[in-house]
Amino acid sequence: MPTISIFHNDFEKLVGRRADVNQIESWLQLVKGELKDHNPANGELRIELQDSNRPDLWCVEGIARQIRLVLDAKPIDYPFLSSKSRAKRRLTVLPGIEIVRPFVAACAATGHQVTEEGLNQLIQTQEKLADIFGRKRQTVSIGIYRLAAITFPVTYGLVKSEKTRFTPLGFTEKMTPQEILSVHPKGLEYGAQLSQADDVPLLWDKEGQVLSFPPIINSREVGEVQIGDQDLLLEVTGTDLPMVLLTLNILAVNLADRGATIDPIDVVYPHATAFGKTVNTPLDMSKSQRISLKAIEHALGTSLGSEVIQQALSNYGYQVKATQHSLSVKMPAYRHDLMHVMDVAEDVAISRGYDSFTPIMPGHFTVGALSSLESLSDQIRDLMIGFGFQEMFSNILASRTELVDRMQLTGTPQGLVVEVDNAMSESYACLRSSILPFLLRVEAASPRSFYPHLLFEIGEVAIPDMGVDLGSRTTVNLSAMIAQPGASFSEIHSYLDLLMYYLVREYRLEPSTHPSFLDGRVGTIICGNRELGYIGELNPEVLEAWQINMPIAAFEFQIKI
Amino acid sequence: MDTTALLDSLHPLEAKVLTILKRANKALSDGELAHATELDPSQVSMAVGWLLTKQLIVLATEHITPIVSLSETGETYRQTTSPPEWILQSIQEHQTRGARVTVKDLQAQNHFQPTELSRAIGLLKKDQAIRLVSGGVLETTDTASVTTQALRNLLTQLAENTQPLTTFPDSDQALIRQYAVKRGSAQEPFRIEDEILRTYALTPEGQTISELTTSESSKETSQLTPDMLKDGSWRNYSFRKYSISLRPPRLAVGRRHPYREFLDSVKQKLVSMGFQEMRGELVETEFWDMDALYMPQFHPARAIHDVYFVKNPTHAKSIAEPYLSQVADAHRNGGTTGSKGWQYPYDRERARRLILRSQGTAVSAKTLANNPDVPGKYFSIARCFRYDQVDATHATDFFQVEGIVLGHDIHFRTLLGLLNLFASEMAQAKEIRFLPAYFPFTEPSVELHVRHPHLGWMELGGAGLFRPEVTIPLGVNVPVIAWGLGLDRMAMVALGIHDIRDLFTSDLEAVRNMRRKF
Repeated sequence: MPTISIFHNDFEKLVGRRADVNQIESWLQLVKGELKDHNPANGELRIELQDSNRPDLWCVEGIARQIRLVLDAKPIDYPFLSSKSRAKRRLTVLPGIEIVRPFVAACAATGHQVTEEGLNQLIQTQEKLADIFGRKRQTVSIGIYRLAAITFPVTYGLVKSEKTRFTPLGFTEKMTPQEILSVHPKGLEYGAQLSQADDVPLLWDKEGQVLSFPPIINSREVGEVQIGDQDLLLEVTGTDLPMVLLTLNILAVNLADRGATIDPIDVVYPHATAFGKTVNTPLDMSKSQRISLKAIEHALGTSLGSEVIQQALSNYGYQVKATQHSLSVKMPAYRHDLMHVMDVAEDVAISRGYDSFTPIMPGHFTVGALSSLESLSDQIRDLMIGFGFQEMFSNILASRTELVDRMQLTGTPQGLVVEVDNAMSESYACLRSSILPFLLRVEAASPRSFYPHLLFEIGEVAIPDMGVDLGSRTTVNLSAMIAQPGASFSEIHSYLDLLMYYLVREYRLEPSTHPSFLDGRVGTIICGNRELGYIGELNPEVLEAWQINMPIAAFEFQIKI
Repeated sequence: MDTTALLDSLHPLEAKVLTILKRANKALSDGELAHATELDPSQVSMAVGWLLTKQLIVLATEHITPIVSLSETGETYRQTTSPPEWILQSIQEHQTRGARVTVKDLQAQNHFQPTELSRAIGLLKKDQAIRLVSGGVLETTDTASVTTQALRNLLTQLAENTQPLTTFPDSDQALIRQYAVKRGSAQEPFRIEDEILRTYALTPEGQTISELTTSESSKETSQLTPDMLKDGSWRNYSFRKYSISLRPPRLAVGRRHPYREFLDSVKQKLVSMGFQEMRGELVETEFWDMDALYMPQFHPARAIHDVYFVKNPTHAKSIAEPYLSQVADAHRNGGTTGSKGWQYPYDRERARRLILRSQGTAVSAKTLANNPDVPGKYFSIARCFRYDQVDATHATDFFQVEGIVLGHDIHFRTLLGLLNLFASEMAQAKEIRFLPAYFPFTEPSVELHVRHPHLGWMELGGAGLFRPEVTIPLGVNVPVIAWGLGLDRMAMVALGIHDIRDLFTSDLEAVRNMRRKF
């Protein structure tokens, strides 16, 4: 989740008190934030925010607001969220846009001079929200403009690409949207979010001046906000109306916290939306919900009582009304993460502080146990170690070359492996179906470690099997090998035989062929009537492929309960 | 070096030589030492070399003695005949047959080199044992050749023997010198070589050390044998003392892999706390890996760059009902969970997509759907896979230690109680901190930070109460703790490893040398 930069002075101003870094770090618990880095020279603090459902916290204003609420124990009022009157500015949505990018929300922020710090934070917030919350601008993208340069009403609609030209941010000449998509860095980066149709979404004002080409780029003339600007227009477009509205709410309260006056704008749709035909934005979508007091107390394991819970939630930014057995709670307009009463329970716990809850041990008695497969594996490991074998432990992704080609298994039934579709590297493209290649990898890497090399590994492998639901079965295999001059079938057979004796398993060997082993010196290990694995002397072709200069005898078989 | 250290460092060969020198109480030569110690000359020479270096003995005398021995040519003369003997015999043979023999005839027989023959003829003439008559004919006289006889005596005397030159009479000495191998005349019967005879004596320090060495008693042996025990003859032996401060030879032994041993101890701890082990599949569906854990299908951690997808088959055949429908409902609108859900159109096709298990919690999800015990505690140590660039802190596959606790008494405070237990059992920590955290499948969620005795403050794990959107669709109606522990850093510090890839190294030497520090 996002890591953002905030600045100490700016944070102190917003939170309304002085605080050293240790103090800030402990406050960060309230926002699930972790201090990653601190630069005392310029006061920069790098903070990682964990909660992917709280985009309102991905900015200094949101962090400071949440902390201020708890410290002041007093609600913050945003009057523009409760205004019922018609807005003085209007944004008209034209029919047809719904097939591309249906929703828009906008407001003006006036009476606050943009500072360098404020502008940097605004840009950072815009980027984090559009990138992470807006899924790389697909569901949400944001535009910020100089209000003074715009004549209302503004229109949002589809336009034929070749009919419009404007100067995008970062360029000096006018271009058509189609040219922007093929030339402008942002066009190249985000162009895939648009369909290939000729019609592109645009925002323009009464004078026909283009504001932006969402979600790609703003116009340079009106969309280049500068330090010292007094009045701004904020606009959010996207494919999901609640997300669009929430994003605008977050931007609006952020600027309000910095002292701006927020003037709502009426967005007039051609059709009715979930919030009506005309939507006055910012819009407080959150509704009061009745939740059970018992549910919260049960979840937290303590009878806090109505009053304490009410206070805790109110301190955390909720509007709360209490009745005898239930609470009516309403989340602040900049949050949209209440899915279940458990979400409220956690906020109560965070607001009161986790330290205020006394831990107690779960009281019920339970019997611990290893799985029978793990117990058997451990028994085998003990035996192999007693036989003098060094246990190995490997990463289990490897290359096809190692698992198949070097084992001379290309095109054979034993050469089937589970392959990764989106491998990052050829070296980790396949899941092992056998452990022996990993022991050979060790041998190839360790000719200088003194001999003999008696190695084994026991662990999970994935056997491709089109007959089962998942297309593969996870089984546990044991592989053991002896590498030394004179390593022989009879020697490794002795170990297998002894192992089977102590495991009280009847087994037999049948002559067979296996491309990894020398012909006439390989056998199938059979228990009952099931073929469980192989034993033999390694084919010199295999050793050569691994660049191993030592004879090796080995076995591998599947562990079954 | 002090006396004790010198004594300790004494090789048994050295001890023997010192003992013999002490017993003789005079300087001894290499030969005498070899004889007295019953050692090979090469062993004596090694021991003498070492003792000289340690200044326990000094070179006492050095004598150069010319020693006479037979050369190969001399040995042949001895076994057959010498040139003058042969000449005399040849002449006599001819004379007996009434024939005559010339110098040329003798040369033609090619029995000796021409030079050997001419020198022998000169010798016999000088002794007046032969004479040369007209026509180059040789004849014997009545006089015997004194020199020929003297040479034969010397040849016999030196048979398989060497002797100092000075022990011969002067006349013989002259003869030996005349017929000895020298530069320019290799074909001679005698060889004179200088033998350097050195004797060695104890230094004062050697005297001290020799008095402290105890190898003089009885017979010494290095090895106690079964026979010695059977017949009791071990009583007649003293056993060679070892230099016990030397590093011993290394062994190739069987041993658990150190990281696996670490995980074994984790496993044991969990079983001792009442947890049952769960196992799962390496290849999983997105459904069990993520959907069942209420991670929305649009969740940022579900992108192509976070999870490994399986190439073939791409999708599982089916997802078990009623879980698929119930989880789908929970995502869409909360279903019967009391939640409003994620509010998006759930994609059942996506649910069947096969991936490499990305989190151990997938194993817990399957356990929830499989009639778990209530109350119950479960754990798994599950191999997981992440789409990460492999480096010192990221491995493509790694182990997650995670599990669940089900029960009617499960709530936030028992969650904290369990974490308390983990802190003391897993990290021997007395100081702990609980921090609010975020996981898509738990609410409330906690991060457990502990003060580890060796690592200081560290994040030990994360936990929370499973969201009802997770448990109810899987048929579980009691609260459930989900927990996970991050133990790799602890393992790495314990094993002295700085690169996570070294936990699974292919370097046998590194594995043989790795050990746990705590």
